[in-house]
Amino acid sequence: MILIGERINGMFKDIREAIQNKDPEPVRYWARRQYEKCAAYLDINTGPTVEKDDQPAVMEWLVKTAQEAAPLPCCIDSTNPDAIEAGLKVHQGKAMINSTTADQWKMDIYIPMAAKYNAAIIGLAMNEKGVPKSAADRIALAMEIVVNCDMNGVPMEDLYIDPLMLPCNVAQEHGVEVLETLRQIKTLADPAPRTTMGLSNSSQRCTNRHLINRTFLIMSMACGLDSAIADVDDDELLDAVAAANILLNKEIYCDSFLKTFRAR
Amino acid sequence: MGLTGLEIFKQLPKTNCKDCGQPTCLAFAMQLASGKASLDQCPHVSDAAKEALDSASAPPVALVKIGKGDKELQLGNETVLFRHDKRFEHPTGIAITVNDNDSDIAGKVAAINKLVFDRVGQIHKVNLVAVNNASGDAAKFAEAVKTVQDSADFALVLMTEDATAMEKALEVAGENAPLICGANAANFDAMLALAKKYDAPLVVKGADLNELAALVEKAGYKKLILDSGAREVNKVLADQTQIRRQALKKFRPFGYPTITFADNPDPIQAIVDAGVYIAKYAGIVVLNTADPADVLPLITLRLNIYTDPQKPIAVESKLYEVGTPGPDAPVFVTTNFSLTYFCVQGDVEAGRISAYIMPVDTDGISVLTGWAAGKFTPEKITEMLNSCGVADKVSHKKLIIPGGVAVLSGKLQELSGWEVLVGPRESAGIPSFIKQRWNA
Repeated sequence: MILIGERINGMFKDIREAIQNKDPEPVRYWARRQYEKCAAYLDINTGPTVEKDDQPAVMEWLVKTAQEAAPLPCCIDSTNPDAIEAGLKVHQGKAMINSTTADQWKMDIYIPMAAKYNAAIIGLAMNEKGVPKSAADRIALAMEIVVNCDMNGVPMEDLYIDPLMLPCNVAQEHGVEVLETLRQIKTLADPAPRTTMGLSNSSQRCTNRHLINRTFLIMSMACGLDSAIADVDDDELLDAVAAANILLNKEIYCDSFLKTFRAR
Repeated sequence: MGLTGLEIFKQLPKTNCKDCGQPTCLAFAMQLASGKASLDQCPHVSDAAKEALDSASAPPVALVKIGKGDKELQLGNETVLFRHDKRFEHPTGIAITVNDNDSDIAGKVAAINKLVFDRVGQIHKVNLVAVNNASGDAAKFAEAVKTVQDSADFALVLMTEDATAMEKALEVAGENAPLICGANAANFDAMLALAKKYDAPLVVKGADLNELAALVEKAGYKKLILDSGAREVNKVLADQTQIRRQALKKFRPFGYPTITFADNPDPIQAIVDAGVYIAKYAGIVVLNTADPADVLPLITLRLNIYTDPQKPIAVESKLYEVGTPGPDAPVFVTTNFSLTYFCVQGDVEAGRISAYIMPVDTDGISVLTGWAAGKFTPEKITEMLNSCGVADKVSHKKLIIPGGVAVLSGKLQELSGWEVLVGPRESAGIPSFIKQRWNA
């Protein structure tokens, strides 16, 4: 399971203030902390409060600051292509682009960008019409992204399809469709594209968020989920992932499997 | 295995004409991948695309047969790089070379026919006799092929790169589907024509992997065995790995079994090389030696590598002797799971105890698993006690059972009439157990 730490995001108050005050310390803190909690990538998002014209410079600063503090690649998260490209330009190592949808005009921007910078890319199984409800419609959109990546020479191992989980309190019927989508994505191509998910979406404004998050993550792993953008500061979540890795025969069992999962 | 949507989409005309009833070619590809549509619903798909889609659904390594009737050898149908992922399907065929200028061809074939070994209760043997045109003379080759065919218990490999000599040999042996070895860039058309004429399997040899792939694509013939041309062991290992790996990725030209040659002049080195080829994907390994001491380790290695890792390995359920047991020797009961049996056997031997071991047939599962599954019962132990003849070999009537199944002792004693001693839980405790408790 590739865990992408969600915490460096301008939606959080401390990061928002760090951006406003140009104070690198909170960014450094969360980069290091998520690294220690065995994140494989750091999600970097300026948040919506930064003006559109300022987003590239802020993204550049966030990526540099995070990578100075922790030896991790970044998952550059923005709806602004200029901000994403600014982040890719200063990024060390193999970045991840978060994200494109299945709209052709977006794929035409982001997929060549992934090829140019040798970055992985997250493809959301949705388009301007919104989030599809059925697994079949999600799969059809995922296939559009698969074909566009193939045409642009982005290998399937670098494509992460996100079937789009919605909050279970208001869109409860989507959960089973997401699980079915995860199963079917593996049949789209050989080698298969990878899969990812914005895990915390599943529990927006619900009670017992941690419980809902980790339960859905484990169910998704059983359906073939390869990666998740998640709260790696949640130790019970990490324990559950470690146990799921064992049960899915991804890691060889040992009595200290919780510890070895965290060792890097 | 089904085709993926992407593989199908790449073969479609991408006109988005809707003649198939789907809005786009991509949607049609998805319908095909999920089995909800058939390819003939598209009127614009090319023959090349049909062919590509047909062959893509074939298994990654083709099944190729050499020889006919009870001499037939099947190779191919492999699906994994590592045996622990599933299993290796068809054991490597072992071929022994006979040269057409040998003085005593019939004698050598008789020696090859004797390469039949009994391993863990099963018969294992070599599979092919390779007749080599060492003389360079076509008539001599055909004559040697006739001699070998008349006396060998195995199918033939005809080894010459001279198409004229091959033609003569095939007049003698062609109807028995021998392996034609073989075609290369120089003699390709003539050899291919011969293979087609006799419907026989053909070795294709390339100067390297690139030439090999090109020749296979040119052949348009499906009964092929591949030879990358490499002869040094490191290069053969690399090529064998590439061929298997590419075949599993569905690179069609490499979707055939391979042939390798362990012909190092140092016989020990040749056997070690052959061992590498057996472990690393060779369909056939050709040896120059018929010495049983050389062939036995390879037969054993082949048996081990090609066992199914998902099935427990069992020893034959019969009475075994450790050391030189006399009438007062102890009798140990265990199960026929090989891991269990060899633990007991090793510990008894390490304690320098002469004893009998009686592994009950539990379908190859361990003592506790067998007990839990109802396969290691007082009834079965008694049955084996009565049938294996141990009562005639010992003067006492005492039986030692594993400590883990102590609960069996009462019922077993009642049923069998033997005195049942409960041994240690671990076989490592057997030597001290015997010292303290055995005084028959």
